[in-house]
Amino acid sequence: MEPSLLPVEILEAQQDFPMALAACKDLDGLLRLKGAYIGREGSHAARLMELLKAAPKEQKRELGAAINALKNQWEETIKARQVELENAKKRAAALGNTWDPDLPAPMPAQGSLHPLNRLIDRLVDVFRPLGYHVEEGPEAETEAHNFDGLNIPVDHPARGSADTFYFEKHPGLLLRTHTSPVQVRTLLRLAPHIKEKGGIRFLAPGRVYRKDEIDPTHSPMFHQVEGMLVGHGVGMHHLKGTLAYAMKALFGPGADIRFRPSYFPFVEPGCEVDVRCPLCGGSGCRVCKQSGWVELLGAGLVHPNVLEYAGIDPGEWSGFAFGMGVERIAMMVSQTPDLRFFFENDQRFLKTMGGLD
Amino acid sequence: MLIEIKALQQELPALRDINTKDLCELLASLGFPVDAVDSSNGTTVLEVDVTANRGDVLSHRGLARDLAAKLETKLAELPVNTLAEGAPLLPIRLESEACPLYATAILDLGKAQGTPTDVQAFLGHMGSNAKNLPPVDASNEILHRVGHPTHAFDADTIKGALIVRWARAGEKVVTLDGVERTLTTQDLVIADEAGAIAMAGVMGGDSTKVTTATKRVLLESAFFDARTVRATAHRHNLHTDASYRFGRGADPAMAKVARDLLVQRLEAWAGGRLVGAWTAGTVPSSRKPVVFDSSVINRVAGESISVTEASAQLERLGCAVDGQHVVPPTWRHDLGIPDDLAEEVLRLRGYDRIPSALPPLEGSPEPLSTGYLQRRHLASRLAHLGFCQTMTYGFVDQQEKQEFDPDGSDPALRTLRNPLGEEYSLMRGTLLRDLRDAAALNLDRGAHDVRLFEIAPVFVPNPKNAEEPIREIWTLGVVWAGETGGEDPLTPVRNIAAPEGKSHLIGVLKTLGISDDFLRAFQRWEMTGVVGGTRNHIGWQFEVPLEAIPATVERVIPAYSAFSRFPTVERDFSLLVDLDQSYRSLAEAMTAAIQGAAGEAFQDLRCVDVFRHKSLPDGRQAWLLRVKFQHPARTLTSEEVDVWMAAGLGAAKSLGAELRG
Repeated sequence: MEPSLLPVEILEAQQDFPMALAACKDLDGLLRLKGAYIGREGSHAARLMELLKAAPKEQKRELGAAINALKNQWEETIKARQVELENAKKRAAALGNTWDPDLPAPMPAQGSLHPLNRLIDRLVDVFRPLGYHVEEGPEAETEAHNFDGLNIPVDHPARGSADTFYFEKHPGLLLRTHTSPVQVRTLLRLAPHIKEKGGIRFLAPGRVYRKDEIDPTHSPMFHQVEGMLVGHGVGMHHLKGTLAYAMKALFGPGADIRFRPSYFPFVEPGCEVDVRCPLCGGSGCRVCKQSGWVELLGAGLVHPNVLEYAGIDPGEWSGFAFGMGVERIAMMVSQTPDLRFFFENDQRFLKTMGGLD
Repeated sequence: MLIEIKALQQELPALRDINTKDLCELLASLGFPVDAVDSSNGTTVLEVDVTANRGDVLSHRGLARDLAAKLETKLAELPVNTLAEGAPLLPIRLESEACPLYATAILDLGKAQGTPTDVQAFLGHMGSNAKNLPPVDASNEILHRVGHPTHAFDADTIKGALIVRWARAGEKVVTLDGVERTLTTQDLVIADEAGAIAMAGVMGGDSTKVTTATKRVLLESAFFDARTVRATAHRHNLHTDASYRFGRGADPAMAKVARDLLVQRLEAWAGGRLVGAWTAGTVPSSRKPVVFDSSVINRVAGESISVTEASAQLERLGCAVDGQHVVPPTWRHDLGIPDDLAEEVLRLRGYDRIPSALPPLEGSPEPLSTGYLQRRHLASRLAHLGFCQTMTYGFVDQQEKQEFDPDGSDPALRTLRNPLGEEYSLMRGTLLRDLRDAAALNLDRGAHDVRLFEIAPVFVPNPKNAEEPIREIWTLGVVWAGETGGEDPLTPVRNIAAPEGKSHLIGVLKTLGISDDFLRAFQRWEMTGVVGGTRNHIGWQFEVPLEAIPATVERVIPAYSAFSRFPTVERDFSLLVDLDQSYRSLAEAMTAAIQGAAGEAFQDLRCVDVFRHKSLPDGRQAWLLRVKFQHPARTLTSEEVDVWMAAGLGAAKSLGAELRG
């Protein structure tokens, strides 16, 4: 076709078309472009039709073909772009309803049990299958329960006010220095029924107090878990079997124990119980000072005087008792470097150490 | 106690074949764990831990004696020449049964005074400085070697007779450390005719002490009652090597031996010349026999141990065994009952040989107490609700009364006589004080959402009850401070200290089963703390005795109650109410009205939105109330629900509410 057949402005419009199309980023822009090029009125296409109408007859055929070609080209291109933009819009609309599941999720806040409580509860669970229940006693105790009933001599230094807290207005009332007075209370209470019950076995967890300054390894308040069993013919082998079971339940099947002779006034014989270092498995580490063993608790067979004090015949009945420091085990197992962390109550420590059960 | 391995080997030559590590194991297996090994001074010194009942091993020879029994070998002969005693050169009167025996000797000292250097080194390893005064150093050396404390007086300073007697009340003596001690009638003293010159078994006196000028010494090697010495050492806070050993029980049979050893050393080291040796009193009668009961031994051991073996073990320890009875040796004060003998047999056999068995279950186990279970369940629920369990000491300072005044009673009744300090002098009457401090600490350290609880006893004076003058009441304390939410894109951040923050805490307390009455009665909801130097409202707090919380019942499935299978109808009211409208009274009035009309079809009424905006009339807010209906036996019709809702609206209007257009 002769280019001269078409007016200059149409030729320019044709030239601009690709750029104008590319400039349409959304459907609205595209519709405006569509109106300008192929709309019914005032568009480039409308002008061309007027041109065609006014053209000399012999040119009409050729001009018509040229105009049609141009119109078709515009129409098709715009349509294709329209589909493209419509699809993009649909896609965007669909994306608006999506949510990246990796975004932080709303969660109920996580609290935690105190690590020491958790350990105490764990010990209760460990001894439960052996028939132990929980006995408790007051923290403000009498000298009689805390010392006398436990065969602790009247002049024992632990009774002094350098070691034990006493109440100002109540002579003879103190903050218990161990959970052993719960033994005394429980034995006294159950002594009249011991025959019908067929023996006594219980755990006594609780808070105890000693006059120690607060430092990385001392605290004036700490926790003990005491255990006691009274029955017929109870010997050191029963103590060993019970603690061996308990330590395996607590630390895993590799947790062997060993007994060493020791002395506590309320047991005879007495022993210290070591457990194979739960951290290195016995090969030697900083915690066990390369010995492979860590000291865990004190124990022994109940002294006949303790049974007698409660009115239980030591000729018929015998028993064992053991007591462990909860903080000591907690620090050993967790490798917490400073005892004070347990009583400072920083949520960061509590959440890491306590968790949920 | 410090033990030099070389000196230990001199007492028990068999130890020369045992290395230090094995020796430590061996000692531990006998009940004497080694706390430290020090090889820094060219010799090896062990720090051995000895239990309070074993005064007999507080020396090299004593420890070696126990090891010899274990190793079934013999101690080295003690190099002592027994002195021939003569007539007393000075009257010695024993006026108290706390001193039954007093062996003594008088020596003139020669010119060449000096303690051998190896003895000086030995004393150094024992942690005491040699004085280079042979009477003092020799006495010290004998104490560490054989365990019997002795003393040397400057004989020329003693006036008249020597008397062992109870001190007179207020009597004074200046001890070797230069301190003047005021004595009581329970302190045993050595006195001459002018007065007390030493505290028996504890420390000698300054006026009679041996110096470089001393020409003649009087030696003391006595036996003092353990309890008396312990009490005096404790009373005067004067704990010495001597009081430690007498206090745990010395061996009366060693008194003369130790004197003879001392004389020998002074002859050798100080040119001493014995003037005379004699003894006042006698060795107390031998120890009480203990019944030899092999059934006790077998029960304790958990296996049958032959009488022959048990007897042999006990004899190795120095006991005399005659089949029915065992007489402990003079150095063992801790063997009094058959169980003690069983322990000795097991100790020598080795505790590692004790068999292991679970005891049979006698009788039936008891359930866990409801108190323990309640605390455990409560703690678990609160932890799952986002609260961290705290653990605090339980001591507070006297300010607690002013701030909290827990039960209005006199705090003196729960005050400690000997606290660690004023800030720890009161046993707490509330948990809120410690919880507040813990919350403030966490806020100071940058925590956003601070939720804490503690379950512990508080102490309440109970003056009318002499049996239980202080009651301990298990209590739950809860605090919530900071802000919650804001941790993810879907949960907006909320300030807990804001007025509506209290709802968060109340919601938690209600789920624990704490009654409305209790919540309403509680007065101190606002937790105030010191933030940035001023007292601020930093959150919400609550405290309740556990007995006021329904205890969790054992986990048994409850009885079936029927539930409706018909559809639920939900209707909303948007009500304009005054800004100070009480929700509780409105909800109660509307609930009563709707329930009265709908009967069993009424399910629930609750506010689900509060709208406050300037577009609303002044002083008014909009509450969106949602009501749920469900009939147990049929589907509800729209008309009947309209009637019930109208009844509810009527009740609301009577309280000044109006329907929002």
